[in-house]
Amino acid sequence: MIHFYHVTKRFDRYSTALHDLTFQIEKGEFVFLTGPSGAGKSTLLKLILRQITPTEGQVVVNGRNLNTIRRSLLPYFRREIGMVFQDFKLIERMTVFENLSFILTVLNVPPKEHKRKAYAALRAVDLHHRLNAYPLQLSGGEQQRVAIARALINDPLVLIADEPTGNLDPDMSQDIIRIFADANLRGSTVLLATHDRDLIRDSGRRVITLEHGRISDEKIAVPERAPARADHVFGLAQ
Amino acid sequence: MKALPEPNVPSNTVTYFLKEALRRTWTSKRTSFVAIIMIAISLFVLGSFLLVADNLGRAVERWQGHTRVIVYLNADVTPEQQRAVDAFFGAHPELASRHFVDKQEALQRFKTYFTNLAEVAGKLDENPFPPSFEIEIDPNLVQSKSFLALTERARTLPGVDQVEYDWEWTRRLHRIIELLNVIGIAAGGVLAMAAAFTIANVIRLTMMLYREEIEIMRLVGATERMIRGPFLLEGLLQGTIGGAVAVGVLALAFFAGQRTLAPSSSLLWGFLFGAFLPWQKIVALILGGTVAGWFGSWLSVHQRAEEA
Repeated sequence: MIHFYHVTKRFDRYSTALHDLTFQIEKGEFVFLTGPSGAGKSTLLKLILRQITPTEGQVVVNGRNLNTIRRSLLPYFRREIGMVFQDFKLIERMTVFENLSFILTVLNVPPKEHKRKAYAALRAVDLHHRLNAYPLQLSGGEQQRVAIARALINDPLVLIADEPTGNLDPDMSQDIIRIFADANLRGSTVLLATHDRDLIRDSGRRVITLEHGRISDEKIAVPERAPARADHVFGLAQ
Repeated sequence: MKALPEPNVPSNTVTYFLKEALRRTWTSKRTSFVAIIMIAISLFVLGSFLLVADNLGRAVERWQGHTRVIVYLNADVTPEQQRAVDAFFGAHPELASRHFVDKQEALQRFKTYFTNLAEVAGKLDENPFPPSFEIEIDPNLVQSKSFLALTERARTLPGVDQVEYDWEWTRRLHRIIELLNVIGIAAGGVLAMAAAFTIANVIRLTMMLYREEIEIMRLVGATERMIRGPFLLEGLLQGTIGGAVAVGVLALAFFAGQRTLAPSSSLLWGFLFGAFLPWQKIVALILGGTVAGWFGSWLSVHQRAEEA
């Protein structure tokens, strides 16, 4: 689903964000991308969403080479990807419902379905009672969950999240991981960037570690102790 | 449990465009107001020229329906000379439809046409208006060589001072009308361009105000049409409103002028306040505003899209 071939990204002569990255994520996988701040996680995600283009190498997502994709096709490509941004990117003048409904308008979903879909997405993140609140009336964690609901609203082929638990307490973080796991079970390929190693440790998922723009490690996170229930492996524990 | 208020769902893309365009126009109402006024001024200028040219054109058409030759006699023409001239016209069928205007009738006509100068004319010691023959002729004849030769002969008759043709007047007036139209279109065009650039700047400012929102729209898969649509519609609305305001103000000024000025001095104001613009020109003026507004917004939207 996501293929990186010898991808290098330089912003200028002196700063190289990513060095010769080659990896692939298969359809239906749930992968954690980790590493310290400045390792290149956000740059990698931006390359997948084609916010930026690689200096060298090729990025292919869902069969589309993002180096050569036509500008006019970019919106349609992006509609297949649900992205949770680190800074949420919610439209402040719109209510929670309107933020979600707006995406549905963009996606040409019939207006009749807006309410049902938006309500379902907000219910999944337990925010259905804040339908008419504005983003600035919500806490950071609530805004984060609205951003997640927005990313999930159209069952994207690929779900990308940049530090989606950065503003949340551990319990809420687990809930969020559960939401991503649910999306993964419904068929979305998930790539989740986080520097929260506790979140990854017992996940049983594939983990790609970046350091100074290079892949320093790639492994499956095996729980140190066997979980009491298999649900933990899939992040389904309540 | 208290029910949540119903969320507002746009029914389709066009509704979304319209709602957004109106909201953005309202949000930046001061700059939008300037843009609307600019459009209104430019179209008001254009409309004024069109209105004057139209009324003059109508007057000329009226005159052309009665093509005349006016033969002015000398002030001291003798009755014999006058009879000889009359007989000359009577002998030629194309000049036979004639009417003699004596000095008194000429003075009376002046007083009727120029009511505000009537008092001055009344104070003159001597009537300065010459007697004349007004000859109605077939408009198809006026350019023929034989007719011109005939009028040249009339010019040489004793007692005849001048021979004037209406169509020279009307030709001159046609030129003035054409000039008015050209000046109106040129001035209106230049002002409309200025207004379009004002709208372009207003839209550019609005786009800067919404740049984060535009970025989010792009990232979630909105097409350029979806992003640009409300901005294009915003310019289009401002232009159309400007055009409608121009027509409204022009109509108000015209009908107020017609009520207050026209009766006081009938000839000049009678020409200028004959009738308001025909509906086709009203629609064209409003559409002119629409096009200028659309062009202005297209300029900035296009430029910002290139920058993105």
